[in-house]
Order: sequence, then structure tokens, then C-alpha cells
Amino acid sequence: MGYGRSDSYRVATTQDKDDRSPKKKKGAKDMDDLKKEVPITEHKMSIEEVCRKYQTDIVQGLTNAKAAEYLIRDGPNALTPPPTTPEWVKFCRQLFGGFSVLLWTGAILCFLAYAIQAATEDDPAGDNVSIVLTAVVVITGCFSYFQEAKSSKIMESFKNMVPQQALVIREGEKVQINAEEVVGGDLVEVKGGDRIPADIRVVSAHGCKVDNSSLTGESEPQSRSPDCTHDNPLETRNIAFFSTNCVEGTARGIVICTGDNTVMGRIATLTSGLETGKTPIAKEIEHFIHIITGVAVFLGLTFFILAIVLGYSWLEAVIFLIGIIVANVPEGLLATVTVCLTLTAKRMAKKNCLVKNLEAVETLGSTSTICSDKTGTLTQNRMTVAHMWFDNQIHEADTTEDQSGASFDKSSITWISLARVAALCNRAQFKAGQDQLPILKRDVAGDASESALLKCIELSCGSVRAMRDRNKKVAEIPFNSTNKYQLSVHETEDLNDNRYLLVMKGAPERVLECCSTILVQGKEQPLDEELKEAFQNAYMELGGLGERVLGFCHVLLPEDQYPKGFAFDTDDVNFQTKDLCFVGLMSMIDPPRAAVPDAVGKCRSAGIKVIMVTGDHPITAKAIAKGVGIISEGNETVEDIAARLNIPVSQVNPRDAKACVCHGTDLKDLSQDQMDDILRNHTEIVFARTSPQQKLIIVEGCQRLGAIVAVTGDGVNDSPALKKADIGVAMGISGSDVSKQAADMILLDDNFASIVTGVEEGRLIFDNLKKSIAYTLTSNIPEITPFLLFIIVNIPLPLGTITILCIDLGTDMVPAISLAYEAAESDIMKRQPRNPFRDKLVNERLISIAYGQIVIVCLNPHALGGFFAYFVILAENGFLPTTLVGIRLNWDDRSCNDLEDTYGQQWTYEQRKIVEFTCHTAFFVSIVVVQWADVIICKTRRNSVFQQGMRNKILIFGLFEETALAAFLSYCPGMDVALRMYPLKPSWWFCAFPYSFLIFVYDEVRKLLIRRNPGGWVERETYY
Amino acid sequence: PPANKDSDGGWRTFVWNSEKKEFLGRTGSSWLKIFLFYVIFYGCLAGIFIGTIQALLLTLSNYKPTYQDRVAPPGLSHTPRSEKSEIAFSLSDASSYKKYTDAMTKFLKKYDDDKQTDQMKFEDCGGNVPENYKDRGAPEDNNPGQRIGWRLKRSLVGVWPRLGNRSKASTPGKRGSSLAHVVTLLRMSLSLCFQPPMNNSVEEFLLPKLKPNLIPIFCKNKREEDADKIGEIKFFGLGEGFPLQYYPYYGKLLHPQYLQPLVAIQFNNLTLNEELRIECKVFGENIGYSEKDRYQGRFDVKFNIAS
Repeated sequence: MGYGRSDSYRVATTQDKDDRSPKKKKGAKDMDDLKKEVPITEHKMSIEEVCRKYQTDIVQGLTNAKAAEYLIRDGPNALTPPPTTPEWVKFCRQLFGGFSVLLWTGAILCFLAYAIQAATEDDPAGDNVSIVLTAVVVITGCFSYFQEAKSSKIMESFKNMVPQQALVIREGEKVQINAEEVVGGDLVEVKGGDRIPADIRVVSAHGCKVDNSSLTGESEPQSRSPDCTHDNPLETRNIAFFSTNCVEGTARGIVICTGDNTVMGRIATLTSGLETGKTPIAKEIEHFIHIITGVAVFLGLTFFILAIVLGYSWLEAVIFLIGIIVANVPEGLLATVTVCLTLTAKRMAKKNCLVKNLEAVETLGSTSTICSDKTGTLTQNRMTVAHMWFDNQIHEADTTEDQSGASFDKSSITWISLARVAALCNRAQFKAGQDQLPILKRDVAGDASESALLKCIELSCGSVRAMRDRNKKVAEIPFNSTNKYQLSVHETEDLNDNRYLLVMKGAPERVLECCSTILVQGKEQPLDEELKEAFQNAYMELGGLGERVLGFCHVLLPEDQYPKGFAFDTDDVNFQTKDLCFVGLMSMIDPPRAAVPDAVGKCRSAGIKVIMVTGDHPITAKAIAKGVGIISEGNETVEDIAARLNIPVSQVNPRDAKACVCHGTDLKDLSQDQMDDILRNHTEIVFARTSPQQKLIIVEGCQRLGAIVAVTGDGVNDSPALKKADIGVAMGISGSDVSKQAADMILLDDNFASIVTGVEEGRLIFDNLKKSIAYTLTSNIPEITPFLLFIIVNIPLPLGTITILCIDLGTDMVPAISLAYEAAESDIMKRQPRNPFRDKLVNERLISIAYGQIVIVCLNPHALGGFFAYFVILAENGFLPTTLVGIRLNWDDRSCNDLEDTYGQQWTYEQRKIVEFTCHTAFFVSIVVVQWADVIICKTRRNSVFQQGMRNKILIFGLFEETALAAFLSYCPGMDVALRMYPLKPSWWFCAFPYSFLIFVYDEVRKLLIRRNPGGWVERETYY
Repeated sequence: PPANKDSDGGWRTFVWNSEKKEFLGRTGSSWLKIFLFYVIFYGCLAGIFIGTIQALLLTLSNYKPTYQDRVAPPGLSHTPRSEKSEIAFSLSDASSYKKYTDAMTKFLKKYDDDKQTDQMKFEDCGGNVPENYKDRGAPEDNNPGQRIGWRLKRSLVGVWPRLGNRSKASTPGKRGSSLAHVVTLLRMSLSLCFQPPMNNSVEEFLLPKLKPNLIPIFCKNKREEDADKIGEIKFFGLGEGFPLQYYPYYGKLLHPQYLQPLVAIQFNNLTLNEELRIECKVFGENIGYSEKDRYQGRFDVKFNIAS
């Protein structure tokens, strides 16, 4: 032991709060107020004063009338949920966000054009584009809305469905009421296992201990008593806080704060008030929407003007405008992205990462820094015996979760004695009814170190209970802070032996003081200087590992002095506590989880910096950091270098040390620049003894350096940092509700290794989204070219608005989504995290590949395939390509019902329109055919398809689905009326096959060149 | 000044970066490379496209389109064309009907008698009576020679010389309303090798009009209330319909001298200043009508003639 918890960091907290408040811009007055010190003074008042203040009675409690009055005045005792956007606002945001505005414009223009047509002609063209567009926007809007609603519903499952109960005393009677109805001044009783219903001033307590870990991060339960022990309300013993747990004992107290006024409530309100930036994927998508919208509007207007200049009527020009906008906007893409993210979120949920906010799926992938909490995330959150020292030798105990680790020689007599002391001098016991569970999983009543000892002994020596039964306890002195030891006296196992066995454990130096001999190889030896030094060395070594060390000794009391039936008096110690026999040391630590070192290693190879931020002591933190690889082997801190070279710390060049352990108290003195310096120059950082505000500062520091930061945490004290982080990861088991509320993701198994899975999935989905977008864009952009040719060369329109929508929202959807199931091409965990400034979802190369084809409009394999089908159909019906050029005016003239084709046949308007729409259908089918090849191409960005294989079943399904859908749209009766799509002759399906093959070959060659010549011209120009 | 640089968002350096000699983010050689790449890329694509189009043309016959299912059944069209299915002009304003008369004059040019004198290309149809189909050898029969056409002289139809001149009001002085002559030419749209068979089971009102070897046309008011406002309708041509000997048609290439049979209809007493809807229909076995296609085998047109 020997590391007294310094209270100083709490003071630092206060100062930090004051420093920070002016920095926040217009955080409103109450926001600043929240950051100030908790205004609780009741802990300094006497109980009478408190009673007077709340007009309550220490025995009778409040009167029912008063309670009702207070309830009306203060409102219910519950945290106000963070302000939620009304459902209709969310819905409208989906309805009018993204590309929707553009499509709405299109729909309105279309409708206007139709209205004007209807007003001037008695038989307007049955144009239902505006209806279709509206339907598209509304349907995709609804879809995204329901996706979002679904993911937010997951959150509701976390809310406690059963209302919390509280035991209050009103008018002298104990009543069980809903915790929400508790008011200030209520007299409340809590007992072990209860959750404290409000902030209460303790008036009486019996062995009451509370677990404040969710508020302060301290994992040790703390005792509560009626006395004021500290000026700081957070430190004093006589206040118990809302939402913390009473671990054992009972207490009675007067409620002083309820609901949002409680300390917990203030942190929660502060957290929900923090502004957070957009997620990286949201920025990427916005960037993408900007590009597409810009291009769509630019092209639309250009051709609008061009059409006017070419002498078209403005009505026709508006129709061109709509056509170009519709062709340009990948209508289905946002829905595709949402589905891809949802699918990944589901996949991650299976791996114990529950994603609250869909976009967070990708954020984890672009994370470059993880600030991880220690307790519970990196460690198992249970004390475990790690080392033992006996027979003048350090033995290593097994600390793994599944008992697969090293074992030690258990045959030594010393070990048997040590185990006996540890088992007998121990008040912890297993809770009843867990015999079928593995020992490590059983619940224990008792404090953490005693539980660790209990489990350790149970594992190696069998039932502790039986051992205790054989050695009946006669007397006991419990642990207290003045003695720093605990002892008990037992009968011996040997029925013939009437001596009593005295066993003692405690702080090693204290225990050693009581000893005069030491057990070595089962023989008592006098404790000479040499052995004392050996003890000191072992103690230092184990302490240096950050472990909590306990010393054990025993003695068989001489029968002549302490005969059977001797009355041991524990208050006025009437027996020997000196000249005992030292048995050994046992040291405990909260060991790292088995999967963590591997996970940290993966993070490191993935270029992610893992920073440990903990409230624990620097030495423990460093030990765990070394244990899990956050400080890797061979890397030294400034202090290590100083110790090695035997020079003062000040003489060491901080640049020489890659690792750094930073103490919270030092942190508060650092300027922003120094902070940046630490974060920039050390690759391996541990922050110890940090306060919630310092966690926030560390996160902000990392973000200032351009990192995308993930924060893990479980306590309420972590929630501001969780909220501020680009992605906050809360713990599903140990996490508090407030932290879960603030986080974007929840680890259901509290295991750091799950984060790595998340990173992997996040990176994969980013890659796969790129593929999806490339796939969608390459079919989307060629949809413009028919319009351009229609306007410029005056041919009948090759591809209509409706067919474009069929491609974007029909056939393209499933294959684009199926790309989300694509496996990674290479080990994505071996590369650096993406640079949010450079590696864009949609980079200029993707755009130039997609839009490069506009430059020479019709020369794009997709468009060419479509145009070929178009020319085939028209030619086979009598209009050869040469006839088509310039035919448009007559073609679209309703009054021209005797248009001659190349052979001299005369066509009525309706007859040739049917041919035209058949062409649209064929163009559409051709794009589907070329998209077959395209989706196979887009499976990979670097590898050949033959390397990657066709294992993606969803993709294969997608291929069949799009083909079936295309056939359905073409052949289903009634489609001629509904969508103006007509049945194709079978041979027309094959028109695009050569182009499909061509684009496949071209892309395989391109990828071959990229692989053969990494970093070469082809890669620079065409790798997206 | 740096402030200026910021204000244009770095656009100027993007357009021309003098440090790296970059234009729009690329150096000259980089532009050249990418340009060459695209030239080759698009060149290949264009080549392949032209290749496939050539292949397509090879599969096509010069004389007959591959599919004719969309062009049949035939449509019925009229000259002059209507605008939004309306023919409207004012008798007192010559410029308002000039476009109609011009269209007719132009249309009838190729029916001028002096263009039909070549005996090698034209033959007279016997006695100006409808006769049966004249098979001149289907294009598939390896018979590439040109098919000769029937003469169809403007003079055959007495009214024709007058057509181009004017549509004039007749019986002026009738009170309340005045009437007008309006003449429209009808023709049935052509489809290669199409033989419109006679339909003998037509409705009763057609029976008096039925003649051998003639596909009958019938025009009437579309709306009941217009029944007495149309007046007399006169037909000119080889009878009140299309004579069968003009079919089949062998296409532009084989049958360049072909003259499409015409029927002129003259409305003698159209009521002025009123909107009148008239429907004309052609009757035959394989002539269909469609709700959607208002020119398939029939048409209706609105007359709106102001005094």
C-alpha cells in the first residue's frame, strides 16, 4: 500500500473550471454556472441547521403536504432528458436535406411546366415526372427517417423501464415511493445494493460504503458517516450522491438536491450542452453533395442557356434542365450509404459494439488517437493476485481470465501456510447459490483485495469455506487505518493440537515489524538483515509493478499461555502480537484483459496512437500501460532515462523519451503549447490522476493537432470528454447511463479489443463506400450524355427521366449496397488511419474518372452500350443513324403524323414515341448489363477480381436482382402505361455485352498496371 | 498581400501556380500525359463504337426494315397539318390561312402532271377505277430493279386546281351565320409492303359507300350537337377512299416514283365562328384504332373559322 490518494487533483479541477469558463464563447450564463464549483454547503451545516433549512424533522421526516408542495416547486426528481428534436423536424430534415432540395426544385419546375402545358393545350403530354420525383424524395426521406428512428430506439432500451424506488420517511412512517417523487428535505433510508435516489446529507450511518466510481472514477468504495471531513462537498464523507450505489451498510439522510440540481445532474446538463462537430463521414458526404450539386446546377443552367440560344422554347429548356438535374443527382446514393452504415452497425452489434449514431460507424475507422480509460476497459476490473513472495523468491500467479497462464510450485510448505493465512485472515465470502459458476465469475461479498485473495486460494487449494470450518475463528481484529493490519485467531485443524493459530495480514512494513522469524522452505528462520533486505527488494519490486502488496504472518500461540478456551479480548489486546513468523507477501493488481495487448498492438500497427487517461496512480497506470503495450518494451520515460543514467530528471532531453507518464497535477500547470508539445513529441503517453475537465482538455488537445479522437470511459466524469470526442465509446456493463447517453457507441462487453473490431469495420466501410460511390457515379454520370446529344445533335431522346430514376433507385441499389459486404482487399489494420484532409471519400480522381467522360460526352462505356442499343432499335425499326441526326424537331412534333423513316414508311407521333420509349428501355437495360461488369470491377480497387474471388453472396444476389428487376420493368404488362417502358426483343439485351466485356478488360488492365507499378502514373491518375 | 490570397480561397494559385508551374493543379507535361491518355482512351472507345455500328449496318437490309410491328397499323394523316389538332383562320384575313394554302401547294408539287410524263417510271391506272393490288415483286425476291409507280394526276380530281387558291365563303348573306369551303387532303400513312385488305363486315352506314377495291373513308361530326353545322362533305379522288392498286409500297429505294394515293375532302358549308370537331376514319381489316394514338386509322380535327 503506501500510496495515499492525493486529494490535490480535485483542487485542480476547480481551478480548471474557472480557467475554462471564459473560453467558452456564448455558453450562456447557466452553462458557465454549471462549470463552477458545486454550490453545496449542507455538509458544513449541523444536522439541525439542515433540518431547519428544509423544514423537515430528523425523526418524522416531511409532512405529506410539505412534500407535495416541494414536488410542485422543484419538479420531479429526475434528470431532464437532453432536449430532443421533435419528430416532425427530424422528418423534415430528411425530407429537405442532401440532394432533396435539388430534386424538389426539379419536381416543382416539372409541375409548373406541366401546368403551363395543361393550360395552353387541351391534351397535355401525360408527364408524370414530377409525381415520380416527389415520390422519390418522400420515399427516400421516409427510409432515412426510419433508419434513424430505429437506431435511436436502441437507446431507449437503456432507459430503466422499472421506475426506481426509494424508501422515505414521511410523517414518521416508512413509505416506498418512486424515486421521481423524492423532494428536498425528505428523510431517506438507503441500504447496501440501493441506488441513492438524490444527493443526500447523511445523518446516521452503519458501515455504509458508497461506490462513487461513476462520479469520480475512484473504484474503491468509500465509507459514509455523518461527520464533515472535507470542505469540498465531493470529498466529504457526509454526502452521498444521486445515482451512485450504496455497496454495503445502511444510512439515513436528508435530501438536499434533486433532479438536475444534483451533482450528477449538473454534469449531465453540462455534457448535453457541449457542442460537437460533425462526424467525419458527415463532412465527407456534405463535401460530396456540394460537388454533385455544384456540377448539376452548373450543367443544368449551361444547357438551359444553350437551349434558349439554340432557339428552344423556354418550356423545353426547363424540361432539359430537369432532365440534366435528375441525371446528375445520384438519387439512390444517400439511401445506399445509410443502408451500408446500418449493415455495418448491425455487424458491429454482433461483435459487441453497439452503435448509437450511424455515422459513428465510420468515425471509428478514421480514428487516429484513442484515449482509453484504464479501469474496466483495459483491465478486468477485478483485483487479482498477481505475485507472491515466499521462500525468498517471487512467484507469479495466473492472472488471465481463463486460467491459462503460468502456474507456480504449489508444493512448498511455505505456500500452504501462506494460503492458510490468506484464507483465514479474510472476511470475504462467496455469495450463496453460485456453486455451478466458475470461481472467477462468482460474486463475492467483501472488499476487492480480500475477494482477490479468496478467489486465488479457492482456485489453488480448494474450498476456503471448508478450511474456515476446520479452523474455527475465535477472535478477530478488523482492519483499521491506524493498525494497518487485520488479524484473527483460529483453532487448528489438528484436533489433538489445542494451540491457537494467530494469523495476520496487512501493510508489509507493519506486518514485518511484528515478526521476528520468517518461514523459508517450511522452516522458521530468524529474520536477519539479509532476509530483511530480500524482503525490502521484493516489496520494492512488486510495488514498482503498480501492485498492491500485502504481508502475511502467523504464529501458533503457545498452549501454556493460551490454553483452550482462552478469552481473547480484541479491544484490549490480551495476547501476543509480536514475534510472529513472517510467511510471505502477496500482491494484487487489476490485471489487463487478455485480449488487450494484442488489440493495442493492432492499433499501433494500424497507426493509431493509444493514450491512457486514468484517475489511477501513475505507477499503477504505468505498470498496466507496460503490461498492455501502451508503453512498448524498450521505450523509456524521462524518469526512466534519468534513473538509468543516474542524472537528475531536468537534465534529460525530453525528446529522447518516446514514452511519457503525465501526472494530473502537472497537467494543470501546462500551457496549451506545452500540452501540444507533449502530445506531438511522445508516441506513448499515459495521463494519470486526471480529472474530468482534464480529460476534456486532453481530447481537445488531440483534436487541435488534427487527430480524430476516440474516447472510452464509463463514469459520469468521463461524459464531457465522451461528448467532445469525435467518437465517444461508453461501457455497456459498467458504464453509467449518463456516459451511455453522451457516447456514440457502446461496448457491450466493456472490452477494449472490441474497439479494434470497430476500427476494422469502420475502415472497411469507408473503403466499401468508396466502391459503392464509384459504382453509382460511373453509371450516373453517363445519364447526362443522352440529354446533351438530344439538345446538340437533335436526335430523339435516348434516355428518359423515368428510366434514369429506375436505374438510380431500382437496379443500382442492391448491387451498390452489396459492395458494403465486400471483404477487405489487404490487411486494413496494417495501414495508417486516413488523413481527413487528404483522403476523401470522393476525391478528385474519382470525380475525374466519373466526369472525365463528360469532356467527350458520349464516349463512355456505359453510355456507348446504351447508345448502341438505341441505334440498333431505331435502325431495325427503319430509322438509320444518318436519318436520325436533326430529326428531333419533326420527331417531337405532335401534329406530324406522317414522319418518314429511311425506308419511306410513315410514322404517326404515337407510333414513333413507342419506339423511342422502347429505346429508353433498351438504354436502361444496357446500363444494367454494363453495370454487371461495373460492380465486379468496383469490388476491388487494386486487386484483380480473380484474386479477390466472388465470395460475396449478396453481390451475386444483387446481380440477379438487378437483372430480374430490369426484365420485370420491361416485360410486366402495364409498364407501358405506368413507366412508359416497353418489352424488348431478346436480341436487344445483348447489344451492350461487348461494352460490358470491354470495360471489364480495361479495368483489369488498369489494376494490373497499378499493382505492377505502385505509385506510378496510372495509380496517381486513376486510383480512387 | 496575404489577406488578398485568403479572400479568393486559393483559387488564383489553383488556376496558375507560378511556383510549381502548374495550371489547374497540373504541370504542362502532366496535362500532356493525361491528354494523350484520354485521346487514346477515347480513340479506342470511338473506334469500337464505330465498329459495332458498322456491324449493325451490315445486318440490315437495304430494302426492308428488320421489324415493322411498330409502324403498323397505318395512321391517317391530313394536310395541312393542324396545330394542336386545330385548324383555325379568318376568312377576312388572307395571311391567317396562307400557311395552310402554302402547305398544300407545296405538298401537291410532286403530283404535278408534268412530273409524271416519263413512261419508264409511271404507268396509268386503268380507267381511273379502283383495282386490286398490284404486286410488283417483293424486295426479298432478289429483285433490286426500281418499281414503277401509278400516275396520280392532279387533274384527276376536279377540285385540285382550285385547292391552292382560296377557301372562300359561300352563300354570303345568310343571316346569323356564314359558311365556308374548307378543303383537306387525306392520306393513309405508308408502311412497306402493306396490303390493306377490304373489310366487308363494316357498319351499316358505310354500305352505300362500299365499292370494290376501295378502302372507304368516312367523315362526320365528332359531337352530336354539331350535326347540322357541318354541311355537305365532298370527296375527290378515285372514289371516296384509297384504291387498292396503289398498294403495296416497296420503299424509297425500290419505289422512288411512288405516288401516295390521296383523297381530298371538301367541307362546303362549315358554320363560321364556331368550333367544330370532325372525325375521319378509314375502314379495313387490319386497320386498328387506339385510344392513345389519335392518328391511327382515324383522326379528329377542330375547325375554327372566323368570318
